[in-house]
Amino acid sequence: MIYVETGSTDVYYNFGLEYYFTVEKRMPEPVFLFWQTTPTLMIGKYQNTREEIDLNYAAANGIRVVRRLSGGGTIYTDEGGWQYSFITQSGQENGASSNEIDFRKYLDPVLGALRGLGVPAEFNGRNDLTAGGRKFSGTAQYKLSGATVHHGSLLVDTDVEAMVRSTTVDPEKLISKGIRSVKSRVCNLAEFLPKDVTPQKFKDLMVAAILGESGSVYTVTEEDDRRIRELADEKFRSWDAVFGHDPKFEIVQKNRFPGGGSLRAELNVKKGRIEQIWLTGDFFSAADIRKLEEDLRGVVFRREDVLDVLREGLQGGGIMGITPEQVADTIIG
Amino acid sequence: MEKEIKMPRLREEMKEGVLCAWLKEEGESFKKGEPLYEIETDKVVNQVEAEEDGVLEKQLVEEGDVVPCGEKIGEVRVDE
Repeated sequence: MIYVETGSTDVYYNFGLEYYFTVEKRMPEPVFLFWQTTPTLMIGKYQNTREEIDLNYAAANGIRVVRRLSGGGTIYTDEGGWQYSFITQSGQENGASSNEIDFRKYLDPVLGALRGLGVPAEFNGRNDLTAGGRKFSGTAQYKLSGATVHHGSLLVDTDVEAMVRSTTVDPEKLISKGIRSVKSRVCNLAEFLPKDVTPQKFKDLMVAAILGESGSVYTVTEEDDRRIRELADEKFRSWDAVFGHDPKFEIVQKNRFPGGGSLRAELNVKKGRIEQIWLTGDFFSAADIRKLEEDLRGVVFRREDVLDVLREGLQGGGIMGITPEQVADTIIG
Repeated sequence: MEKEIKMPRLREEMKEGVLCAWLKEEGESFKKGEPLYEIETDKVVNQVEAEEDGVLEKQLVEEGDVVPCGEKIGEVRVDE
């Protein structure tokens, strides 16, 4: 096994690095990463951001949102926790056969290392790790171009309040076929670890235990780094990578404005763009609302893009008592 | 020759999977080894690859549908 130090807490960079060693730079042995992030919400590949995340809370608190390439639900990570990745190419020892799912062989070394530190760690039925019945680690996998990536999270001293707050959303608003998260009771490993185990020491112990004696270390070169940054921006950091890949959804947004009346926006959103929109309510408009609905079709479902169209369409009179900004806020929610 | 494609069983306990994405359109041809569709089950996202050259004739389930293992999800035409 080869350990690669990511040297970054930028989730987009770290996923870019993981992708690089999965698809582009295939190493002769399985690659192992052990990394951290600034406060981040990681959604599963086929999840709907709006269904899983309080996006306004995330934005207001500087929490990053990233779409993983693996399945499953949304997790919250910060510098109080650790992420790990195992990247295996087909044909490698320990490599999964092409059509088989196996979590245990990846989780066994993690479990063993934690038990060695005195944590009463166990598996549960969903391939999570638990202690005292509460989850401290979630895992997921993806298979791409003949490689298997197994990655997981470890809560050590994560801000559980921020986790709960940022993943609590109004469930009634949206209809979609996206994968839904399963909420679990969680715990931090700090509860179980000896006091002298600092985050750095925890990392060193885990990496040493998982890598074993025959492991080696690979250092990212300048050339690797350049390509990883490109992959990070293109595949993980871009608006399209996060929101443009939401499964299609229907949403109804409502608002009432004193002096303007009620406004209801019903939308179909596909690939991050408005497919159809219906604006109704008891407001009074000098502008042609049907024309405005037409103009909004195909527009990126993002406040600034919607607002541009509204400002144009609501010139000269517009909607009485409701500004284009208020209409945009209603539509986006 | 017409062939059915079915929701695969990726491990013994698997009962159903979500057809997350079709990676080929109806009428599109593919080569052996190219990914045809993507499924998710038990937190695993898996691209399923073509076993031979052919054309995707029909997509019988929609993206996001939950499909029991073994159930027909599409039709392909493969070279004899």
